[in-house]
Order: sequence, then structure tokens, then C-alpha cells
Amino acid sequence: MQTFLQYTILGLALGGAYFIAASGLVVTYTTSGIFNFAQGAIAMLAVFTYWQFRWGWGWPAPLALLMVLGILAPLLGAVLYQVVMKNLRGTSEVTKIIVSIGVMLGLQALATWVWNPTSSTPRQFQKFFGPNAFAHFGSLRVPWHIIISFIIAIAIAVGIRFLFVRTRSGVAMRAVVDDPELLQLNGGRPERLAMISWAGGSFLAALAGILIQPMIGSAMSAGALTLLVLDAFAAAMFGRLRSLPRTFMGALIIGLTTTYVVAYFPSKWTWSSSFRNSLPMIFLFIILLVLPQDRLRGATVLRLRERFRMPSVRTAWIAGLTMMIVVFCLKVIMAKTGVNTLTLALTFAIIALSLVLLTGFAGEINLAALSFGAIAVMVVYHFGISGTGTEARTTLWGILLAAVVTALVGALIALPALRLRGLYLALATMAFGVFISRMVLTERSEREIFGLKFTLFTSGQLAIPRPKIGPIDFNGEDAFLFLCAGLFVVIGIGMVYLRHSGYGRRLTAMKDSPAASATLGMSVVRLKLSIFMMSAAIAGIGGVMMAAQVGTVNSDRFDIFLSLALAMITVVGGIGYVSGALFAGIFLIAFIETLNLMLKKFAVDYSSLEAIFMFFISAVTVLPATIGITMGKNPSGAVSDIVEGMNKVKQSKPLMITVIGLEAAIWALTATEVITNWHFVILTFANLILVPMVGGKFLMARAMRGVPKPVPPELIGIDRPFTDEDLAAMDQALNLDGVVIPSSTTVREEPANASA
Amino acid sequence: MPLLETIGVKVRFGGNIALDDVSISVEAGSVTGLIGPNGAGKTTLFNTITGLQALTSGQILFNDKDVTKEPPHKRTRMGLARTFQRLELFTTLSVRDNIRVAGEIRNRWSLRTPKMDVNAETDRIISLVGLSDVADREVGEIPTGKARVVELARALMIQPTLVLLDEPASGQTEEETGQFGQLLRDLAGEGLGICLVEHDMSLVMQVCETIHVLDFGRMIASGSAESVRNNPTVIDAYLGAPESVG
Repeated sequence: MQTFLQYTILGLALGGAYFIAASGLVVTYTTSGIFNFAQGAIAMLAVFTYWQFRWGWGWPAPLALLMVLGILAPLLGAVLYQVVMKNLRGTSEVTKIIVSIGVMLGLQALATWVWNPTSSTPRQFQKFFGPNAFAHFGSLRVPWHIIISFIIAIAIAVGIRFLFVRTRSGVAMRAVVDDPELLQLNGGRPERLAMISWAGGSFLAALAGILIQPMIGSAMSAGALTLLVLDAFAAAMFGRLRSLPRTFMGALIIGLTTTYVVAYFPSKWTWSSSFRNSLPMIFLFIILLVLPQDRLRGATVLRLRERFRMPSVRTAWIAGLTMMIVVFCLKVIMAKTGVNTLTLALTFAIIALSLVLLTGFAGEINLAALSFGAIAVMVVYHFGISGTGTEARTTLWGILLAAVVTALVGALIALPALRLRGLYLALATMAFGVFISRMVLTERSEREIFGLKFTLFTSGQLAIPRPKIGPIDFNGEDAFLFLCAGLFVVIGIGMVYLRHSGYGRRLTAMKDSPAASATLGMSVVRLKLSIFMMSAAIAGIGGVMMAAQVGTVNSDRFDIFLSLALAMITVVGGIGYVSGALFAGIFLIAFIETLNLMLKKFAVDYSSLEAIFMFFISAVTVLPATIGITMGKNPSGAVSDIVEGMNKVKQSKPLMITVIGLEAAIWALTATEVITNWHFVILTFANLILVPMVGGKFLMARAMRGVPKPVPPELIGIDRPFTDEDLAAMDQALNLDGVVIPSSTTVREEPANASA
Repeated sequence: MPLLETIGVKVRFGGNIALDDVSISVEAGSVTGLIGPNGAGKTTLFNTITGLQALTSGQILFNDKDVTKEPPHKRTRMGLARTFQRLELFTTLSVRDNIRVAGEIRNRWSLRTPKMDVNAETDRIISLVGLSDVADREVGEIPTGKARVVELARALMIQPTLVLLDEPASGQTEEETGQFGQLLRDLAGEGLGICLVEHDMSLVMQVCETIHVLDFGRMIASGSAESVRNNPTVIDAYLGAPESVG
């Protein structure tokens, strides 16, 4: 009984803290329509900042609290909204999710930068009034911290309810989501309200973090904290991101179950701690299963800002061929480490292709691509390897089996979200990813189930050899590089074919307007399921290739944050394009790696400037996230910009010849070892980006010489007289084909007559 | 026996009653008008008929079968198609592909064999509705009036027995509307049932045999075009003085 009461109180307090975080999510979601994946990261940052003030600098608790909760957290929320989230109106759900994930990764990188996790002194975070402050109820001893947490949770619940239902600004906040324009017409200020709610949401996240951290009692870790408040997602889902009372209930259930598992599961069950850790994810999954079907809605925005033009199949073949040639040329000049980096980048690009297929073509999101890779790797490890020692090779059958298994697992994951919108599938996949990390990849010792002895993730290290397919052995670095490049090209071209097929058009229809698709008789379930399975299988194959390149993989290789970063960078690259996936692989692996190496080399070479270079090395860790955050400004991705630039080159022969000629020269100089590979990288970058830019401007200026500047339409007739072409253009625009205009200047004084 | 019948349909959004006891019917081979001021509940009624909006109470019969509980795609498969007032085009596809994909979707569910030759049918529909000049343009680039015709073409591709048209003529020029009215009458002549929501009263009066009038979610009149035009309640609520009618 004593234990029961003790753990019930603990569970209630934990649930209360979950609720606080979850209510922050609900508040920001209802007012800005953005599901804030960074909620956990904000909490994490607040915990670290509070630690710094309270114990790092020894401030008194009230002052530290005031500083963190009263000033910094709301400020962060407001700034996030003003600088980042405000730009997201009119973008797709995918972009919204990706940008908030960018914020999450950015804050996390920032925290590890400032509070170095490898520092020697462990950071201790204590309960309010210290670890020994207890309240006594008869024989029951309850820490004051626990009591305070629960009281605050109830106060917040009542307060928010009051705010939303009874106050003018609360009602206005709810109106923001329904129709911001209408609210504006009625004198409301949606932007300001959304900003306030973001400040509030950030405050709630910070509060939840400070309450939760001492309850879990372990050392502070940026990653764990960021994911911990993810558990609040599950609670928010209970209330379907709308109902606060139900969110409160959900949070309590999750809190209580978690503590009961700790209290009552027999200690000999070695898996109970990983089960405890993945419990909220299991909850989230179950809730997604039972949520009622979404009302089918039309596109919420009339025209998205994202634009993707699918290349023709012919273009895809040419691009594929070009890529193989480029890979070959690079291989010739590159050192062995370079080849390895490039191969790894290509394996990530293959995984990213799965995202292009799913998100770019079908509008659904998978935030745990690498977890599917992990499944595939486990399948290959157990069933797909022939030979031993240096003769060990991954078999073709092993790879195919892995693809089939990942596809089936993919179907299982997608099942709950099939009836729901993209956000819910994103959450389901994220729950799956965390579940895999916490529950499956921790299965390092042997288990016996129904007499079958089995280890899932043997000793935490899986050795995956390179494949041998038929008579061809891909064990060599170069052979494997070409295999990966070839695989990427084949899958990529296959995807372009797919996009131009009836199946691809149906996918596009489903993505562009679910409502219209349904009223044309489409049942989306099978379509969604098939595309998700296909995508999972590609992720699986990519994962196996990645593991084969690395050699021996541990669970870090399939970290959820890496999956998130990959998804983010693919969207940055251009989620609608096959080349977006290539961009993601190259950027995330090769570019970042090269940049790091370069900076480290400089730091050694110019030791007097070491501090500056070390700073840049840290800054590089924040770079991907920073780029992700800029998505709001350019939702179509970087590739579409590059394509625009390339189009300029294509249109102008001299420019094209210059660029290709220069590149060939740079390559030849490198191949003959006149210049080093570093020079090659820098010069290539300059040649491909800067020359088209400068050359384009120059050519444009020359072509424009003698041609007068175009006059804006409203100034025609004022700055210069009307011409017949102007009138024809206007007629066309106004649909006035049949109207005959006498060809004299008198009518042109009053063009309005034309429509009479 | 009418093709479509709604019986006492009621829809409530919280405290707001969007539709209250609305009973309309649409016959095969004729054009039925559904008119009323903005916010009268016309689009909501279409949404309940197609299954995009659940109803609070009432019944919807299509082909004499109760479809009230059927999901949208099942109703479509029974021969019900519609267009949307707020355009629901597949914005990343060309005009031709928008229409073609509808045929491809239909071929997936239709039990009828042989399957439709989608390419030939697409060409036929495109010239039937007069979209040949914009067929290969991006659907986002064409004028709204044309885009509404794409919606109609797409609905026709699934070879429905009934189409619900939600303000198909808004954004069209006068000339286009004239041709459009003729097209609707031709389609009805071939046996298609059409239910038309439209504000252009000249078009409604020109093509509709029967008209239902909604105001604040209630039916305030229904009958032949002539009787509705002269109904004092309708004039009061919607049409205004007879002279001002389009």
C-alpha cells in the first residue's frame, strides 16, 4: 500500500509535468497551426540555462527561475515565432514539420556546443528545496518537489481553460487558427496573438523541463531531455491537439503507467527499463490507432508556395549517365578516404530517396528512415551473410529479404496513420524510431522466446560485409562505390518513371487534394500503404548499403536525430526531386565531413588562429539546422534554385562551354597532381556556383544593352505610348478576343472603352 | 423515382445549425438548381451528399439506396460526382493529366469491362467541354473560369449518373457561360442528372427545370423555375426585385 501510494503520487506529478509540456504544444498548435517539434528542445535548453544560473553561477533559485521562466523562455518563443514560424503561412504541412525539426536540432546542437557533454564534472540538477525536503503525511514521505509539480500542473490546467473560454484574448487565440483573415477584419491581430501563444508555449515547455529533470534523476543530457518531452506528444494526442481536459487525462495515464512499471515489474525482467522508456511511444502509437478518421478536407491553402517540376524520363537518363561519369572522374583523383566518404554519402542519398518517394510524391512523412535501415541491417546480419571472416559477403537474397521485411514493418507502422493526415504519420514514424532505438537496438543479450534463442542486436555491434551479387564481388572500395552510385541512379530513374505513370499521377492526386480524390472514387488506403511499403524498402536497402560501407555498425548509426537531420536536409535539397536526395547525402555526409576536415587542418596549420577555427568547427554542427530553418523562406528547396541557375547556363552556349571547359581543366590539373584535392574542391565550388552567377549577370547585361527596360503595365501609356502588342497582350489577359479596336491613338487614351 | 433524394437533412456545427430539415430531389436527365444567398448552406448540402460532411440527422438516398453511412469514395463508385466551389484541382498536374488521372482512378474501381480507354476518353471530354486550347498548360496557370471547367471535365471522366456542380460558372465570361449552359443541357439530354449551385441567375433560369431555394439552412421554396422566380419569399430573401434578375 505504501509503495502504491508513493508511486501513485510520483506518477501524478510526472503526469502533471507531461501535461504542462503538452498544453504548451496544444496552445501553439491551436493558434499557429504549427506542431512544435522543438518543444522538447526548448525544455532542454531551459533546464541547462537554469542549471547554469542556479548551480553554475550559484544564483538563488527565485532569481534563476524568474530569469529562465519569466524572461528567457517567453523571449525565445516570441523570437522563434517572429523570425521563423511566421514565414510558414501558406506552406505545406511537410515544410512546417521540417522547420520546427530544424529548430529542434539547432537548439540541441547549440546546447551541446555551450555545455560540452564530455566535460569532466557531471552536472547535478536538484529538486526544489534540495534533495532532502519532504512533506510528511502520516507515514508517507513525499518530496516537496513532487507536490509542487502537481499543484502547478493543476493551476496551469485551470488557468489555460479560463484563458481560452473566458477571456477575450483567449477566444481570439482560438479564432486565429480558424480564420486569421476574418479575425483581422474584425479588429483582431492574429500575428501578435500567435506570437504571444508561442511565448506562452515556450514558457510551459521550460517549466515542464525544470520540473521533470530532477524527477528522472539522471545526469543532464541534451539528447535525452529533448526526447523526454517528446513523451508529452503522446499526451497531446490524447486530446487530439485540441481538448485540454483530455490532454490532462492522457498525461496522468502516461505518468502513472510509467511509475507503476518501475514499481511493479519484476526486477529480473531486464527489458523493463527499456520498456519504461519506450512506453509513451507505445501509447502514442495506440492512440493513433484509435483516433477517429480525419474529416476529409480540401487543400487548406489554395496554392502552396512549393513548386516542383518533374523532369522527363529522358532527362533522368541523361542525369543518371552524367552522374556515373562524374563519380568515375572523382574516383580517379580521390584518395581512399575520399572514396569512402563519397560512398557513404551515396548510401545516405539512397536512404533519402525513400523520403523523396514518400514525401515528395505522396505528401506523407517518415521521420525515422534510418530505423527502417536498422531493421534491414538486422535481417541481413541474421539471414543474409554467406562465408566467414574476410570471405564474408552479404548475399543478394539477404538484401531482398531485408527489403521485404522492412516493407512489411513499414506497412505495420503506416497502418494507424492511414486514415489520418500527414502530421500523424510523421508522429507515428517518430514514435517507431524512438521505440527502435530504446527497445530493439538495446537488445544486446540473448533471449529465449518459446524455446528459441535469439539476440536481436548482437553485442551492440553488427558487422555487415559488402555484398557479392552473382559472380560480381563488390568488396573493393571502387566496386562498392560504383554499386552504390548505380543503385542510386537505377532507383532514381525508376522513381521518375513511376512519377510519370498512372500510379504516380494517382499519388499526386492524393497529395494535391484528398477531398477531390475521394470524390473521384479513390480509396487512399491501399495507395498510401503501397507507397509507404515501397519507401520503407528503399530505406532498408540504403541502410544495408550504409552498414556495408561502415563495416561494423552500432546503434548510434541509426539514431533518431540522424533520421531527423536527413529528412530535414532532403526537404532543404528539394523533396520533390531525385536530386534533392543526392543533395542530402552529399551535404550531410561529404560536405560536413570535408568542411570539418578542412577546418581541423587549418587549425593545425595556422595554430595562432586555432580558437577561431575551433569555433567554426562547432558552428558547423549547427549549420544543417540553420539551413533547415530557412526553409520557410524558400519552400521549394535548394535544388530548385540550383536548377534555375543551371537553366541559365543551358540557355547560353558560351557560358556552358566556359563552365565545362574550366571544370575539365581543374580536373585534369588535379589528376596530374599539379594541384591538390583541396584546391579541386574549392575551385569546383567556385566554378559551378560563381561562374554561372557572374557570367549570367554579364551576359544578361550585354544582351540588355540597347534593349530598353521593360515598362511595368500600369505605366504603359504614361512612360511610353501604347503599341499594338501591348493591346493584344492586354486583350489576351482580359479574355477580350472578339473585341475589335480601331487602330488609332484616340482609343488608346481610354483603354477602358475596349471592354464596353 | 428520383436519382437523388435527401430526406430531412440536418447539420449542426456546435450551436450553429447549417442545414435544417432539407429535403431535395434530383431527377435523372434533368438539371436541378440549388440557389440561395451566401452562407445558405448549399456547399454544406453538397458535402453531406458526397459524404465529406457527416450529418446530424436525416437520410440520403442515391439510386434508391440509403448511402447516409457510406464513405465518399463508395458513393462516387455508385455514380455520384461533383465539382468544388473552392477549386480542388491537382495543382501539380497539367490540365490534361488532371482529367486523365480521374479516368485512371475510375478504371481502378470500376467493375465494368472492358476498361475505359483513358487517353481516348480524355481527348473526347477535353473537346466536349472546350478545353483544347489549354489542355497542356499547368492547371495553376489557367484562368479561374477555365479551371472550373476542368473540374467538370474531371467529374465527367468517371462516367457518373449524377454530378453536383458548385458554382461552375463563376469566373467565366458571358460568352463562356452561354456555351456552358448549352453543354449542361446537352449532358442532361444524354440522361445525366445535374444539380447546379449557381449565382448567375440567367444561367440557372436558362437551364434548370426544377429549383430548390435555401436560406439560412432552410428550404424556403422549391418547384419549377417559373414558380420560383415569381415566389415572393424567394424574391424577398434572395432575388430582390424581379427587374434586377440577371
